[in-house]
Amino acid sequence: MTRENKKKKAIEIVSRRDNGRMLSYLNSCVHCGLCADSCIFYLTGNDPKFIPARKVDLVASVYRRYNTLSGRLVPGLTGARELDDETVREMVDLLYGACTMCGRCTLHCSVGLDISEVVRTGRNMLSAMDLVPATLQSTVRAAMETGNNMGISKEDLVDTIKWLEEDLQFELDDNTARIPLDEPGKKVIYTLNPREPKFFPLSISAMAKIFHIAGESWTLSTRMYDVTNYAYFSGNDDEASEIVNRLADETLALGAEKVVLAECGHGSRSFRWEGPNYISRKYPFKVLTSVELINEYIREGRISPDLSKNTKKVTLHDPCNLVRGGGIMKQQREILNRAVSDFTEMNPFGNDNYCCGGGGGQLSMSEYNDRRMGAGKIKADQIKATGAEVVVTPCHNCVDQLIQINQAYKLNVQIKTMAEIVADAL
Amino acid sequence: MEWYKLISLGTLAICLGSCIFHFIRLIQLGKPIDYSVQAGDTTKAVIYSLTGAMSPAKKESAYLHLPTYAAGILYHLGTFLAILLFFTIIAGASYSGILKLIIVLFLSVTTISGLIILIKRLVSPALKSLSNPDDYISNALVTLFQAFTVLVLTYPSFEWAYYVAVSLLLLYLPLGKLKHAIYFFAARYHLGYFLGYRGTWPPVKQNTRFSYDQRE
Repeated sequence: MTRENKKKKAIEIVSRRDNGRMLSYLNSCVHCGLCADSCIFYLTGNDPKFIPARKVDLVASVYRRYNTLSGRLVPGLTGARELDDETVREMVDLLYGACTMCGRCTLHCSVGLDISEVVRTGRNMLSAMDLVPATLQSTVRAAMETGNNMGISKEDLVDTIKWLEEDLQFELDDNTARIPLDEPGKKVIYTLNPREPKFFPLSISAMAKIFHIAGESWTLSTRMYDVTNYAYFSGNDDEASEIVNRLADETLALGAEKVVLAECGHGSRSFRWEGPNYISRKYPFKVLTSVELINEYIREGRISPDLSKNTKKVTLHDPCNLVRGGGIMKQQREILNRAVSDFTEMNPFGNDNYCCGGGGGQLSMSEYNDRRMGAGKIKADQIKATGAEVVVTPCHNCVDQLIQINQAYKLNVQIKTMAEIVADAL
Repeated sequence: MEWYKLISLGTLAICLGSCIFHFIRLIQLGKPIDYSVQAGDTTKAVIYSLTGAMSPAKKESAYLHLPTYAAGILYHLGTFLAILLFFTIIAGASYSGILKLIIVLFLSVTTISGLIILIKRLVSPALKSLSNPDDYISNALVTLFQAFTVLVLTYPSFEWAYYVAVSLLLLYLPLGKLKHAIYFFAARYHLGYFLGYRGTWPPVKQNTRFSYDQRE
């Protein structure tokens, strides 16, 4: 496709008229700038270019240039911009490199724009022009080519799982404790963030322990287990759909009734909420997050955590895509109140919680590392203020970022997933 | 009928026609089809989006910037009142006594609010960096509209100037960001529906506000 055609495609994306939602957002920003204080990049970088309204305007100005009378006739009047090299450079820098699409600004926008959705539309445009940062695209490519974003071979996965299974049987002193692989007809197909088999295998055994004690009928798939979908971050909806289809097809192939999404904020969001819309059909199976499932187990008495086993002061980091983008807020708290003896909230928390800085694909875009770690200062300060010794977060991307924040800001805390802290109490 | 009244009626027709076009287009396009399984109450969330979510108790952009928020609210109230008054004034209504005094005092305050917002945009480096000519023109035209409403109520001989100001505003409204008069409600509806569908809004009770560093 020629450069001109790619540009044309990008303009079509911002001009599309399939519903009134984006049209409303692109015509609503009044440039009040009051969203500035909701953005971790602006708060830590203190540069006006990081103000969310600026990011919205990058996309909206291109919309105005090609879709409004004033934009066509007197572009300077409304700041309407050509989709030229300068605009594109700025879009790449700010929409990929200075936004985690955390949605905090969305909730606090004076007008009510879904700013993260506008940013993602901008990423759609850049993706159509093949301008996704190479570092982010390589993560998507790994998922497309190998079935998981870390390129883990089936043999390595099976070896890891077998080792974890033996370890679990030893820990529980129970030879029936299993981590089933590719078993058809089970109620639950469980997914993983590939970081788990690669770097954090104990979070897999923690969830396996919970499944075992709850007496769940479950399996992992070696063919498609990756809960992540970095194409959600890159803005390539075709690739995002392909990744969603793979998991949906594997669920059907194994005949599972439910997909349980591992602790991954964007993975949960992209499969549960965006996925059916990418593929334009409803799933014929149930989808829930492991946080919801663990909470169900506790409520139903299928597992009974002993909170005296977790006596350290614990705080919770709310993953943006799980909470603001997925409506899962109460469940984490219900679990922690049953699994730890000293739980304290960050300030603010829940819908208002600050992003850790690791979302939006930031962790894979090493060229923006300094910004990402700078933006993490807010989270570091929040954690420090709680005085907690353990930070729990149901998201592996957040875990990675929190580990780095922990080192950079000398927090001296432990970072755990929800399954890990619950398994500790079993 | 005087020429300036005719012009204002003409620009009103253009403005209304344009607004109706935008409104009908929004209604026709509707909301996106969502194939995911709904988790929350969209009606409650839309109501929340149009009410509680905009209150200074919940909205960070409001509670961290109370003076600006208050000025903005007053400014918008003044605009609504001035629009209402325009229809009554052109229909031949006149105001006197205590009612006129209250209106004039109120609109004077809202005009000052508009001026403060304009000055803030002119002097704040962050806000300046976000602004284009439309931001200044829109703010200035609406502020002038309110100021001229005060003027025409106080000095009826300035009627022509009032109608010219009204005409300029009505002619300009569909061209720039003043269109948010229509899109604002649609944006809040869509946001409320979207967040309600997922169960994010209305929010469960949580601690009150906080700012990373109380800026204002």
